[in-house]
Amino acid sequence: MKNSTNGILDSYILGNTHYDEVYTGSKQPRDHYASMVERFNQLSLIDFERINNEVKTAFLNQGITFAVYAEDKKPDERIFPFDLFPRIIPNEEWQQLEKGVIQRNRAINLFLHDIYHQKKILKDKVVPADLIFSSKNYLKEMVDFSPEAGIYTHISGTDLIKHTNGQYYILEDNLRCPSGVSYVLSNRVALKKSLFELFDKLKTKAIYNYPEHLLEMLKSVKPKNVDNPTIVVVTPGMYNSAYFEHSFLAQKMGVQLVEGRDLFVEKDFVYMKTIYGPIKVDVIYRRVDDEFIDPLCFRKDSMLGVAGLMNAYRAGNVTLANAPGTGVADDKAVYHYVPDIIKYYLNETPILNNVETFHCENESEGKYVLDNIDKLVVKPVDESGGYGITIGNRLSKDEIEEVKVRIKSNPRKYIAQPIMSLSVHATFIEESKEFEPRHIDLRTFCLMGKDSEYVLKGGLTRVALKKGNLIVNSSQGGGSKDTWVLD
Amino acid sequence: MLSRVANNLYWMGRYIERAEHFARYSKEIYFSSLDAPIMETYDRKFVLESMLYMTGIFDMEADVEKDVLFKIGLDTENPNSIISILNVARENARGARNAISTDLWEAINKYYHLVNNYSVETYISTGFYDLTQIILEQTSIVQGKISGTLLHDEEWAIILVGMHIERVIQVIKIINSKLHDIYKIELAGHPVTEMSFEWTTMLRCTESFDMNRKFYRSIPNREQVLEFIMLNPQCPRSIAHSVNGIQKYLLKLDSDDSIDSRSIIYKIGKLCAQYKYLTFEEFENDIYGLLNSTQDLVMEISSELEKKYLSF
Repeated sequence: MKNSTNGILDSYILGNTHYDEVYTGSKQPRDHYASMVERFNQLSLIDFERINNEVKTAFLNQGITFAVYAEDKKPDERIFPFDLFPRIIPNEEWQQLEKGVIQRNRAINLFLHDIYHQKKILKDKVVPADLIFSSKNYLKEMVDFSPEAGIYTHISGTDLIKHTNGQYYILEDNLRCPSGVSYVLSNRVALKKSLFELFDKLKTKAIYNYPEHLLEMLKSVKPKNVDNPTIVVVTPGMYNSAYFEHSFLAQKMGVQLVEGRDLFVEKDFVYMKTIYGPIKVDVIYRRVDDEFIDPLCFRKDSMLGVAGLMNAYRAGNVTLANAPGTGVADDKAVYHYVPDIIKYYLNETPILNNVETFHCENESEGKYVLDNIDKLVVKPVDESGGYGITIGNRLSKDEIEEVKVRIKSNPRKYIAQPIMSLSVHATFIEESKEFEPRHIDLRTFCLMGKDSEYVLKGGLTRVALKKGNLIVNSSQGGGSKDTWVLD
Repeated sequence: MLSRVANNLYWMGRYIERAEHFARYSKEIYFSSLDAPIMETYDRKFVLESMLYMTGIFDMEADVEKDVLFKIGLDTENPNSIISILNVARENARGARNAISTDLWEAINKYYHLVNNYSVETYISTGFYDLTQIILEQTSIVQGKISGTLLHDEEWAIILVGMHIERVIQVIKIINSKLHDIYKIELAGHPVTEMSFEWTTMLRCTESFDMNRKFYRSIPNREQVLEFIMLNPQCPRSIAHSVNGIQKYLLKLDSDDSIDSRSIIYKIGKLCAQYKYLTFEEFENDIYGLLNSTQDLVMEISSELEKKYLSF
């Protein structure tokens, strides 16, 4: 018999129009959640709130924060909200996800190599050439250049959602500088310290060794003729919102965190300025966007980059992770073609579903979009962080007209997708002091090195804390959960 | 070690040390004055003026006690307030985040949040003692993490060079400030030289009271106190100890042992030797002269250190 007469989950009301990760339609915990629900129900609200506050203080003291900048104001230092109820993924379900993510990134990598070399896929008209050449993320500096071991996307973040039908769908690929992995590791540490008894009955896969895998991967793509590579992480600096993550990863790998101004290039080699003089740098995990990495090649006004870096790179004297020019493949307009890209290069059926996508540029699809804006999510193809997205059923008539004008003025910039129902998960809401259903997604982290592929077990479960909100990005009020892949 | 990181660590060390001296001086001088023996001169204003003098605030009158406490402690507009100094120390630590241990970073960050979340209203009404005490305790924790959680390599050494350089400068300021107070009291016709009170306060302001008692086993007087906090290498707050510290940690960075009179190592070595063989009688009649020349030399070492290692 359950002794949950006053369990803190008893008042939970199912999110009945969406897939509930924790409960079935009759409010029975799903099998893989049963012992977790039982554990939470043994906690009193007072204990739970105390633990919750302790965790928040710990995050603040550890500096696991991001800065929100507003004009005329001191930057606001915020913790990334963390929900203590973990998201659980059964092992079999994860196996499929992992295979699917690897398959997808393998194909994307071959695609990138192709479009910067022979362009076979464009000649075969599987992907429209216009789409690629019109992308501002297609870099001519990368044409005919082969990065070490043929790897372009050393680190990729694949965003997935679970739809009403219980199936995973890929929401987008992040192939430039995907962030969030430091939160995955910090969330796990926080949960272990605060609710250690949860780890008794259910066994989750370990994730602590991600930085070791990252370091091994970076070593594996060192330039030729280098035995013991000097590896650095490049950050835009401590005022960047992801600075915590940059310093975290550098520290956990035991490598130097540098800024552009700590580096210089001489005779196509990269050096960092130390107290005893210059030291050569061989592998750069850069967390600075393409357009800022080299003021000689890209934005002239960049203070974050290193003059001459692209020449050193093209001379094969330094490895950049990720390679420049990968953004062309995570363009939301290219997203639509990824299943075809998988078939084309790997001759395999895509393991993970793509969401149906309409191109506003395409005449008939564009017309459909303009006629059905209220039923669609419209996204700019080249923005990140959830910016510029409109969700049809939330728009007023005037807003719909505004979206139409925007699309018509630059159809290449927009795609549209059916409104997907992100699954919901029981999440503690501080205002109501109750668990309520909130939409979640999942960002997986995949590493590709020379002869190695690795996916972090689980990933970052982001949760939209605002009721009914579908946008989970931290800049838009999102939080996160620890993610368990069962052993 | 990156030059930029070395720069961050050096200034982190200096600011952590500076905030502590400001807090301790303000606390000791304020609370010891509450029942000071010569009350007619020792009014509130006298004490507040001394606090402003020591913390380098020259643009305000010591009229309103709460305003002075706020200006010294929690005024973020004042770059020399304790909170501003601490905030810069923390920004420097953050800029060198991956060079320091997680433990040290969290200790500094926690210290930062404790002070930044301290209510201004509480501080200026009833919390002055409490906040300065928090600062002293948090500083000890940070110092403990520096010694116990960092590899004792160049990065660690540069922090300690910064702390010892700052300690020399602050101890000199404290001595100057107290001598200035004593001069004012004497000017008002009170023979302070015969009284232990001012000398005791000077010891407390440099955290050396208990050590001094143990060393001399007698009531503090002028000679004993100045000799102790200037020349005694066993007292960790003395100038002699601090210049030795600068030398010790600089040698971890710079093994240059050629006798070049322009080198940093030569200059600090000479200063250490001077303090080693100095007696009180030799500088008794020109205390300010010695303090000034020591300060100038340490400042010179600091700027050459910056030029040699910390510019990027």
